[in-house]
Amino acid sequence: MKLWQKIFLSSLFLIIAAVNIISITLLSNNHKLLIEREKEHAISEYEYFTLTLSNTVIYERMTSNKLMLSDTEIAAVMDRILKRGSENAMGSTVNAYTPAGRAAGTEAAVYNLANKQLISSSGMSGLYELDDFNSYISYLLGLDAGYQRENFLTHTFTCDDGRHLMAVSSVISFEGKDCLVIAAADVTDIYALRDRQTRFVRHVSIISAALISFLLLATTIILLRPLSRLNTYTKAIAEGNYKLRIRKKGSQEFRELAGNMNIMAESVQQNAARLEKVAEDRQIFIANLAHEMKTPLTSILGFADLLRIKKTVSDRERAEYAGTIVEETKRLRSLSGKLMELISIGCTETEKKPVSLPEMIRETETALSPILTKTSVSLNCMSEDITISADEELFKSLLYNIIENAVKASGNGQQIDLVAAMYGGNAVISVTDHGIGMSEEDAEKVFAPFYMVDKSRSRKAGGAGLGLALCVRIAELHNAKLSIDSKLGEGTTVYITINGEECL
Amino acid sequence: MINILIIEDDVNIAKMIKATLSIVNYSGFCCYDGKSGAEEALKGSYDLILLDVMLPEMNGFEVMEQIRSCGTPVIFLTAMQDVADKVKGLRLGAEDYIVKPFEALELLARVDVVLRRSNKTQDTIDYGDISVDMGRHIITQKGEPVQLTPKEFDVIVYFLQHQDIAVSRERLLSSVWGYEFGGESRTVDIHVQQVRRKLGLRDKLITIPKLGYRLESQDTV
Repeated sequence: MKLWQKIFLSSLFLIIAAVNIISITLLSNNHKLLIEREKEHAISEYEYFTLTLSNTVIYERMTSNKLMLSDTEIAAVMDRILKRGSENAMGSTVNAYTPAGRAAGTEAAVYNLANKQLISSSGMSGLYELDDFNSYISYLLGLDAGYQRENFLTHTFTCDDGRHLMAVSSVISFEGKDCLVIAAADVTDIYALRDRQTRFVRHVSIISAALISFLLLATTIILLRPLSRLNTYTKAIAEGNYKLRIRKKGSQEFRELAGNMNIMAESVQQNAARLEKVAEDRQIFIANLAHEMKTPLTSILGFADLLRIKKTVSDRERAEYAGTIVEETKRLRSLSGKLMELISIGCTETEKKPVSLPEMIRETETALSPILTKTSVSLNCMSEDITISADEELFKSLLYNIIENAVKASGNGQQIDLVAAMYGGNAVISVTDHGIGMSEEDAEKVFAPFYMVDKSRSRKAGGAGLGLALCVRIAELHNAKLSIDSKLGEGTTVYITINGEECL
Repeated sequence: MINILIIEDDVNIAKMIKATLSIVNYSGFCCYDGKSGAEEALKGSYDLILLDVMLPEMNGFEVMEQIRSCGTPVIFLTAMQDVADKVKGLRLGAEDYIVKPFEALELLARVDVVLRRSNKTQDTIDYGDISVDMGRHIITQKGEPVQLTPKEFDVIVYFLQHQDIAVSRERLLSSVWGYEFGGESRTVDIHVQQVRRKLGLRDKLITIPKLGYRLESQDTV
């Protein structure tokens, strides 16, 4: 089930339940109130009726001039009143508007409490058909007379014809005899009112439920719309569209969520870009490697094939062909050597220990002396007494490579300056030559594997374009950075900046 | 004389290609970067251009776009085995591409195919008393036509075009029968024997042990 459906259905259910409970409570309260009032009304009517009854009995006794009326006489009086006898004892018409007339219209029954016999009744036929009314009568007849005399007992019955009758009862003494008098008041109107109101509330609640559900649905969907938008965006981002950013709209939670998701997308994008860069670099590396391997191989295969298939090969040709094959094979050897070095640097653990920088520079200078003598380039070294944590062999190879590059760039008799000093908390080694230099464009790419500023020159010198790539790797392992500053025709300076943490 | 322009930045490869072409008497001229190569291609009249893809100054594809107008057929030399690269080269109008490294005879075979397509090869080849008319597909000896099967004809033509070169059975198989042909080297032997018998080349078309065959040129004794 979707969230909007859950929210919609649960709120709809709660609202309808609440409305119905409230209206039902109100209705039943109102109904109770009406019943209560009707009860009071019925009781006062009852009191009036019973008073009429006793007065009529007394009047009867006085007119008949007796000390006491007998049971049969009382019954006759009751019958006369209850059964709407139109004439009283004196033969006068009982006016319906006189108290006696009004009392005569009442549905009532009178029981003799002593022998539990019905003395007289009128209009109670609807009630006598009900089993629970009959049992109510026997219950009343069984009750304590004193208690009943004090109180008016009421009970409402529903007749088979749909009428609601409220039975009011009490014990009244006629001529010293306790009688149970029950009068019924018609309260059908109240019940009909209740039924009407209930029906009305039901209709109203159905209509309002429809209205509420419509409004609720609209509200829920509108409120949750940013969620589906977020969902769409997330899916798009997941599918690789990392550039996508979500507009911050909707309620605060959604805005926050969108913001956080943008942050997530940002970092995913950066990571993806980084991985792409790595993959791309690798691709370029492999393509370059293939090129660098295939170039000498092409010459080797071509010349070897020529030597094989040609019928006559002059001495000059043989020397040239074989010479090229040897030269190119050497190039391959140098390439594979450098490649192995590059790979092994990443694989083997470097053994760092404190070493003196001036010491290493001096040793590198010694190792370079044959090349320096051959090219008659002078190397001028100046170093502060700095001790760094380094793998001695690797670091010397880094220095060697960089100085060798400087020598290659220099002309005969030129000078190379090497300065090692603390600068801004870091150890900085700079190697400056005054040779051919290179353009800014070349200087940017020069650290990339296989990049050669001047291919033919570099190849003649046996370079594979991996020297500086190697240096970068070594520098990385020593928490150092390489940077280059060069001007075409004026010379080049390479800086090795070793992070202060590595200095001891 | 066929003139071929070689645009290749590696000096040794350029030299090797030139030497390879010289054995079939094609003359080669070398340019070592894209810019001068393109200029040379537009200036000189060449029958074919061999163009390296990775060149300084201007890469092979850029050169190709510049020299397209001169209509000289171009074969790309590439170290890449990337299909996209090959497709790009062919789309730009190159006739063929050769992947480095390559054998000398493979280069010659590709060059010949392209030259033949552009009708730059000789129509007739004379060899002693044998004369081949390529266009009419007729071979005569002492003025008399010799009956050869189409494949025998292709075999003798291949040898005539590659005189004094040791040709391996595999090379002959792929050049005459095509690369797809999964035939055996015995097929080659039978055809070579037929050619020898029909044209009386027993002394000239010699077997080189472990390598293949070679047709000695007329002038060498």
